[in-house]
Amino acid sequence: MEPMIKVENLPKKYGEFVAVDDVSFVAQPGRVTGFLGPNGAGKTTTMRMMVGLTAPDRGSVTIGGHDYHDIPNPGRHIGVLLDASAQHAGRTGREVLSLGASVMGLPSSRVDEMLALVSLDDREANRRVRNFSLGMRQRLGIAHALLGDPEVLILDEPANGLDPAGIRWMRGLLKGYADRGGAVLLSSHLLHEVEQIADEMIVIGQGRIVARGDRETLLAGRVGSSSQVNSLDNELLHAKLEASGLGVEPAGPARSVKGSTEAVGRVAADNGSSSPSSAPWARASRTCSSN
Amino acid sequence: MSTATSNPREVTPGAIDISATQSVPFSRLVKVELRKMVDTRSGFWLLFTTGILLVLASGISLLVVGLNDNVSLNATDISQILTIPLSLLLPVFAIQTVTSEWSQRTALVSFTLEANRVRVLTSKLSAVVLLALGTILLAVVLGAILNLAGAAVGGYDATWNLEASGMVATVATQLLYFMMAFGIGAVVLSTPAAIALFYVVALMLPLMVYGTLMAFFEWARDLIPWIDLQFASAPFFESWSDLGGKEIGQLIVATVIWVVIPLVVGTKRVMTTEPK
Repeated sequence: MEPMIKVENLPKKYGEFVAVDDVSFVAQPGRVTGFLGPNGAGKTTTMRMMVGLTAPDRGSVTIGGHDYHDIPNPGRHIGVLLDASAQHAGRTGREVLSLGASVMGLPSSRVDEMLALVSLDDREANRRVRNFSLGMRQRLGIAHALLGDPEVLILDEPANGLDPAGIRWMRGLLKGYADRGGAVLLSSHLLHEVEQIADEMIVIGQGRIVARGDRETLLAGRVGSSSQVNSLDNELLHAKLEASGLGVEPAGPARSVKGSTEAVGRVAADNGSSSPSSAPWARASRTCSSN
Repeated sequence: MSTATSNPREVTPGAIDISATQSVPFSRLVKVELRKMVDTRSGFWLLFTTGILLVLASGISLLVVGLNDNVSLNATDISQILTIPLSLLLPVFAIQTVTSEWSQRTALVSFTLEANRVRVLTSKLSAVVLLALGTILLAVVLGAILNLAGAAVGGYDATWNLEASGMVATVATQLLYFMMAFGIGAVVLSTPAAIALFYVVALMLPLMVYGTLMAFFEWARDLIPWIDLQFASAPFFESWSDLGGKEIGQLIVATVIWVVIPLVVGTKRVMTTEPK
């Protein structure tokens, strides 16, 4: 099967700063693909390059076999949510959808359908976006992405701001969408969010793809592999990890450790009394396990 | 929650069939841009205040005619009176249509629904021109009523003395100022900065600085009609038979400085600036 989204050798530099360093991956139709990585890893830049908002230095992205710029009325084929807060604060939720529907040439009944789909009632939809909670903005953004009945969804941090019930709802929505043949690419910086929603995952760290595969493969791969860890006191963590016999290398501001995240977590917990930051260690190492 | 309404039309897995999809018609983009100008609170209040200003200007004129026996209004006077409320606030629409996409970050949506940014910009400029023409039309109707009402109140015969040249000059300068506001908005991409810059250049400099300079200095009388739209366009409100190459040249130079260059630089800026 041909992949729906194909990203090949996509680098992006801003001056000396490498936002994305040679990223390649694919997303399949009928699957929800999670795009996981810490903040600043290059997820958003990669997604912006996919929809033509940012020009890559070289490389190519095709969606359904096309360059984004060549797709006529792109809202009818690709649903995009890059930032739920990027809406005019003075417009009502309904007006935001109505504008999108007008551009795409859809009847206003489609707006009502989408509002019902994301459970924004009339009273909420007629409020200005300024007064929306982040969760409501995410729902509105997803409604906007689905307006044109697209074949592909590209969603940047769509679960951010959703409560656990909201995340379960989104999983149901996106799974159903994928089961009907749609391709979904969604990003998150939280492993527990992505692993609930996505069928497979692409892990990005410091502008590079560091792991890919379905949940089981990724979790199994942690044993005997290296982990990226970050803490409030990396110098201390470095010393303690070395003392316990794990190989440690600086990886940017963080550390790359030859060992599983459990092993790192154990060292962190054992030395918890000498550092106030044992909890952040465990959390940070979980979000970015690697091959 | 139902998910039945989203139904991906998959034909071949991994390929999207775009052969049956039309690109977004330009007229639809213009319609949406017009709607975006007025569907926010700021848009509503700008229009509302402009309406109030028009009514106030008409009312005060009528009051003056009614109270003074020797004052009368003709169509040329009225056109000059009603142009002021039209040029005071409405250029903000021309600025905001570009800048709000960046300050409110809606460019993320606008440029993904229509990836060709030149099309988005030209649809916005068309909407601005339509808004300018629409409000002028409204003012003409209001002016005609005002002319008849003034004649009735003052007890004289209405004078329809508006020359075609004056009318064309009024419409053209109004359009030039709207396009200047649009261009400055595109160059600056910030609502407050663009509004400040526009009103300093279009209103405060001619009113407070240029007039004073021209009263005192010979060089200012030579220079300023070349670099200011208001002074450059002033001769065109009179009869065109007296116009020479100098006046036409001045209007061209001032238009290039304040309309053409901002539009070109602004278009380049919008093409290359990443909406965040």
